Parts: sequence; structure tokens; C-alpha cells
Amino acid sequence: IRSLVSESEMALTQVSSNKCAGGFQKVFEHDSSELKCKMKFAVYLPPKAETEKCPVLYWLSGLTCTEQNFITKAGSQLSAAEHGLIIVAPDTSPRGCNIEGEDESWDFGTGAGFYVDATQDPWKTNYRMYSYVTQELPKLINANFPTDPERMSVSGHSMGGHGALICALKNPGKYKSVSAFAPICNPVQCPWGQKAFSGYLGPDRSSWEAYDATVLAASYSGPQLDILIDQGRDDQFLSASQLLPDNLIAVCSEKKIPVVFRLQPGYDHSYYFMYSFMNDHIKHHAKYLNA
Amino acid sequence: MAADREGRGAPNVSTFQRFSVDTNESLHFDPCENSSPSPTGAEDGQDDRDDVFKEEETEDEIIMIRNQLQGKVAEMENFAGHLEEIFLTVEDNFGRQEQHLEQHYNDVLQTLSQRYDERAAGLEEEKKNKLEELYSQLLNCGRAMDASKELIEKAQEIYRYQDKRLFLKVDSLVFAPTAEFAKDEVDLTLSTNLEFNTPLADLSDVKTMMDSINVVPAPSAPVINPQMPNSATQTSLRVCWSLFSDDTVEYYELYYRPVLEDTLADAAFTDVNVKETHCTVTDLLPNAQYELWVTATNTTGISPASEKALYMTVPSPPVIKQRECSSCPEAALIRWQSGNTDPVDSYTVELSEMAADGPESSVTESIVAVPTCQCLIQLQAGRRYLIAVRAVNIGGPSDKSEVITISTTGTLFYLLEDTAHPCLSVSEDGFTIFYGDEELPISAMALDDENTFTRCVAVLGDLIPVRGRHYWEVEVDDGTEFRIGVAYEDTERSSYLGANSTSWCMRHILSPSRHKYEFLHNGWSPDLRITVNPVRIGVALDYERDTLSFFNVNLEQHLHTFRCRFQSYVQPCFSLDNPGALTVHNGIQAPAYAFM
Repeated sequence: IRSLVSESEMALTQVSSNKCAGGFQKVFEHDSSELKCKMKFAVYLPPKAETEKCPVLYWLSGLTCTEQNFITKAGSQLSAAEHGLIIVAPDTSPRGCNIEGEDESWDFGTGAGFYVDATQDPWKTNYRMYSYVTQELPKLINANFPTDPERMSVSGHSMGGHGALICALKNPGKYKSVSAFAPICNPVQCPWGQKAFSGYLGPDRSSWEAYDATVLAASYSGPQLDILIDQGRDDQFLSASQLLPDNLIAVCSEKKIPVVFRLQPGYDHSYYFMYSFMNDHIKHHAKYLNA
Repeated sequence: MAADREGRGAPNVSTFQRFSVDTNESLHFDPCENSSPSPTGAEDGQDDRDDVFKEEETEDEIIMIRNQLQGKVAEMENFAGHLEEIFLTVEDNFGRQEQHLEQHYNDVLQTLSQRYDERAAGLEEEKKNKLEELYSQLLNCGRAMDASKELIEKAQEIYRYQDKRLFLKVDSLVFAPTAEFAKDEVDLTLSTNLEFNTPLADLSDVKTMMDSINVVPAPSAPVINPQMPNSATQTSLRVCWSLFSDDTVEYYELYYRPVLEDTLADAAFTDVNVKETHCTVTDLLPNAQYELWVTATNTTGISPASEKALYMTVPSPPVIKQRECSSCPEAALIRWQSGNTDPVDSYTVELSEMAADGPESSVTESIVAVPTCQCLIQLQAGRRYLIAVRAVNIGGPSDKSEVITISTTGTLFYLLEDTAHPCLSVSEDGFTIFYGDEELPISAMALDDENTFTRCVAVLGDLIPVRGRHYWEVEVDDGTEFRIGVAYEDTERSSYLGANSTSWCMRHILSPSRHKYEFLHNGWSPDLRITVNPVRIGVALDYERDTLSFFNVNLEQHLHTFRCRFQSYVQPCFSLDNPGALTVHNGIQAPAYAFM
């Protein structure tokens, strides 16, 4: 195990490294200052990264996932190698913080950080996933890998799709592009979101809106975004009204925020679905990151 | 030898050799004495370095002089050779001339002696006749004299008779004939003319012969040359001929007439007089064959006609059909009309690249022997080319057609207006199509043109058949229902675009609640939502990857990509599903994202 010491004295520990699609799929561990715990993240380094600085695509995973799901199931590496993108996939929540109730349910606590900065006890110390993925992690990545800090994008699945959308909408110009698979588009209105937001942010619903893609889209102003969303038509969570893409589309249509929303017949909420359209998403990001 | 003495008498005047004609050698070269500069002559007393320098200088000079002399010698030899040649020619010509003269004089003498013989024989004959006649007259006179004498004697005898009665008796007997005789007048005039009849000798032919001794003979038939390359224009032919060098010619007459293939009758010919052995015949028909022959004339006479030669005027320049030309970054398809009623042999396409900083250009490439009225030309992307066509026949190439400018920044095509549905009209520039509100008369709908779309109000484009990447844009109103995409050229004219397996298109549908977009092929579309209505749509056709992609140009937003298997070339297609208009934008450089 090799240790890397960055300028900002952030220590990375390599957990694994595998040659993949001409480059390397690696996993690192570090001590997160935001989350006050050890965090793992996956990073794919394309062959191009050996000689040049590459743009970075941040991938935010869905409920229950770790950094492993995406790198083992989504099949993103060939396409990332082709377009010369570094893909960084963090874990979905702090782990091992010994907070009471963190492991009680699969849609709250561990594996369900919801990419918010919690304001409520006992979560507010560790559950700062929004700051982690938008601030600490990019700094860490830019300090340790051959990246071009000016060129980053964000994408994700389900809860991660929600994360990707709010990261882009809350930080105009920070991300060159955004895409999502089956995102939770309007968490304020769905059971998952209501459960998580009330837990992390408290009962004041107005505070929730700062992390709701549909609400954020309605007030978005900034550089033009190009949002690509794929949604399986046979997704059980779509029919369970957890995802609510129509609400987001309605707002974006009204606000003229460019969205291409593709309802893919026969596909469900799984990685099989994502795998099927991953290339389109990588290409979508590459178009803006390599422009 | 005077020259030599002069040379010696005036030394150093010239450093060149002189030559003089000697008795033994025709050309004798004699170096001038004392004329070569002495290295140590007047410059004695100078130091060694100067001497060496002088020596070198002198040597150089000598070499130069020697070279000059060698040059002179070569010139002289050359000149001598020339002289020899001229001598031989003169001798030869003189001999021939002598022979010629001799023959002529022989002819004249022969003619004269023949004349003499004829005249002498005639005179002899006349003399003989005259003599014969005179002789017979002499005889007659003698006889008359004899008869007279006899009568006189008789009369004297009777006179001497005594008997006067008897005398009187006899008298009646005798004097009757005497009186009769006396009545006969003896013709004492000369029966023949003493003058000889000598008609004036007609010596005109001899005179002609004599005259002709001093002039050259009538020329022989000239030799007409076959047509030279590039000697013809659309309306003129330059004809050349030659003749035997001995002949002297005052002028030539050139005859020509068109060769008409469709009629057996020969066309009337025209002739022109020229002094030279060439002539440019003008006012001819383009791309036509002419028959030409030539005669030579001098004071003596006219030569026989030369062989008949066939020449051909060059064709009229072709006419480029701008609206049927298309191009893309890698190539251009140029189509043209022959410009000639009769077929030509081939066409030549000339192209030159326009310099970026000005219109200066030169022919950089020619494509020759193009058999048909179209040519697909490989080009470099991102340049500007000037292209022109010439028609070629055996007479040569025509003038250039009008020049067409091809820009290889993007794909350029025109609409195939003959495919347009009757309700569709196309703007003058050919790039905007309109679907009007007004009802069309049934007669207009009943056009049984097989190429016309009959149900879908559509029109096809005429994309260059190159398996590369093509990009064009379509400008629409977001209240217009349209279908845009590609279709095989033979796509069903009675079916809607996208409803069959031979077309792929993006469709915009206005529903009461929203704008709906479909990406149709074989009647099926993926289910997708687009939040911003595209009003300028980029269409990217990639034969290499077998894809057809659509973009919202204003947002640079990717909308959809068909993955197809294009079995053959496809054509852009456009249709309007409700009254409105759309405009095709062509020749646009494809944005980088279009073919990512």
C-alpha cells in the first residue's frame, strides 16, 4: 500500500489498483475533514492521464451503494478511456460514525447521505455529503491526480441523480454538464426525500428546497446547462412516485432549461439499465468537457 | 600576300588570327607575328610578384583568345559547310534549270521546224498547181494559133482563085467558119494568180512556248496537313498545307464545306484565296466536321486539288447546372449540359484552388476524358475551388464553361423539386419550402408523376453520393409541424416519412398541451421529452458509423441518434404536416460535437 501526500497534506491510501481499458481503476481511502471519518472513493484514470491533464466526471451513486457498485457494474471505463475522462465515484455516506440509528434502514443513514449537509443532530457532524462531493473531494482529486480543475461534470443514479442535479443547479458554471439515470427529481414531494430531508434538515420544509432539483431549476440562473436524463419505463420507483421526473420536466420546459429526457421502454432501476446507456452519458459529458 | 604584309607592318594592332585564301588550301590560318603580348616586354624591371601576376593575367588572356579563336574556327567551319551546301544546291538547281531550258528550246525548235516543213510543202503544192495551169493555157494558145494560121492559109488560097464566082461560092462555105472563128475570142488573160497565197503564220503557240521558258511550270497539287491539336476554335479552323519546294505559287485557293451526316447531298463549298500556306477559316459551326482541300495557282496555271482533309471545330462550352451540383467537405458532384446538339468525345473538368487571400488562382488539376455530363471530384476540406468544364472533340477542347465556386466547408445540396408534393412550393433560392393554407384544385393533386410525394407533403434533397459525413441545418417555426431526416431515394412516395423502413426522421407534433418530438423509423419512435423546442435543428449523417443525429443548434444540445444500416445512399428529406414553412441551411461547417 502506497501513501501519497498532497500539498494540502491530505493523505491518500491506495486500497486497490487494477488495469482497466488501458488505464487504471483504483480505490483510495482518506480521512475526510468534512465527514470526520475514513472515506473510500474510486477513481478511473484513462490512458490519456499518463501524459495529460484530464477532465473529471464525478459520479454519485444511489441508495445503499458504495464506491464499488459503479465501478464493477456500470461499464463506464471503456468509454471513459476513449474520451479521456477521469471518473471519480465516492461512497454514498459517511461510514462507521457510530451514530445511533444509522444502520436501521436502507434509505436513511449509512448508504443514504442524500448529498445534503445535515443540520440536525445527530447527523450534522458527519453527514455533510454535499460539501464533501462539491468541495473536499474535488480539492483532493485535483491535488493528487492529473486533472484540469476547470473541467468537471457530474452525473449519478437515483439518489445520486438527485445529487448530480442539485450540485449542478446550486453551482452555476461549476460543472460543464450534468446527466442522470432515474434521478429523484423532486425529493420534497416523494417519500424517500421527505424521510431523508426531515431527518437531516429538520421539519422546516423551506430548508429542504435548497436540495430539491425541481425547486432549484425553477430559480436557476447561470450558464446554460444541458441535462440528459434516462429513465427506465419499467422502473418500480417511477411508478411508486419516488422519482417524479415530470415535475422537473415541466419546470425546465417553462424555464427553458434544456433537458432531453428519454423514457426507455422495458428498463428498470438497476445497473443493467445504466449499463445500457452509459456510453451516451459519457459522450454527453465528453462533448462539453472536451470542447 | 597583302594581308600578311599588313599584319607585319602594323604589329600589335590585332591579336586575332587572320585567314587568307591560298592557292593550295582554300582556308589558310596564319597567326599574326609579333601580335601575342610578351610577358616580359615593356614591363621589365617590375618585381617578381608583379611578374607572376602579369603572367597569370597573360595566361588568362591567352586562354580567352584561344577560346575566341576556337569559336571563330568553329564558326568558319560551320560557314564553310553552309557554303558547300549552298554550292551543291545551286549546282543542282542550275543543272535542273539548264535541262529544263534545253528541253524547252528543243520543243520550240521542233515546233518551228515542223511549221517550216508544213509551210514549204504547201508552197510547193501551190507552185505545182500554178505551173500546170499555165502550161495548159499555153497549149490552148498554141492550138488557137495553129487554127488561125490554117484559116489564113485557106483564105489566101481562095483569094488566089480566078473564078470569082467560085470564090463567092466557096466564100460562103469557107467564110462561115472563118467568121465564126473570128467571133471566138481568145482568152489571153492569165488564168492563175501570179501571187502566192501566203497566210500569216500563227506563231502564238511558239511565242507561248518561248515565254514559258522563262516562267516556272504550273504547281503540282499541294499536300494538305491533317488537323493539328489546338488549332481549332468553336467557329474557326486553322488549316495548313505544303507543296513541293520547286513550285512557285502566286496564291492558293482553299475550299471547304461542312460534312453533313444526315444528308447524302454534299453541302455547297466556300473558297478563299490566300498567299500563305495556312489559313484560318472563320464563321463555322461549333462541334462540326468540315471537308477541306486546296489548289495552288501561279501565272502558268492551277494545280490539281489536294487530297480532301477532315477537320473539326471545337464544341461549344458546356453549361454547368448549378442547381444540380452538390458538394461536401471531401468532394463535389458537378453536373452540366453538353451545350452541343451533337455528341462530343468527352469533357474535361478543370479545378483550381482559390488562395485564401485573393482571387488569384491557376489550374491545379484537370480531370480529362469524362464521358458523361457529370463528375464527382475529390477535394480537400475547408477550401474554396473554382471549377469549370470544357467539352472536347477531335478538334480540341472548347472554351471554359462559366465557373462555379465550390466551398468545401460543409455539405451543400439543392432540393429535388420534382419530388415535391403538389401542395409544397419552393422559394426562388431553392432552400425554403412552403405549405400553403389554400386548397389545391383536384387537378393539381391528380398529378400522376411517379416521383412526387402523394400523401406526405414532402420533398427530397439531392445529397452528394459520398459515404462520408454530412451536416445540414433546418430552421423551423416552433408552431410548425414537420418531419426532417433522411430517406432512400426510392422511398415510398405514398407513405409518410418515418412510417416505413426506408426513412428516418425527427417529427414535431403540436398537441393541445405540449410540443411533442418523435424520432421515427418504421413507424416507431423512442419516448422522449425535450424541454426547449428546437427552432434550428442540426442533422448529422455519418455513413462511417451508420448514424443519423439531430441537434438543437442554438443550445448545441444532442437530441437523438439513430443507429441505422444504410444499404445505399440516402437523401435528406423534409416535410410539413401543417401549413407553414421551413428553411434548409447548407454549406455549414459541422460543429465538432456533431460527429463525436
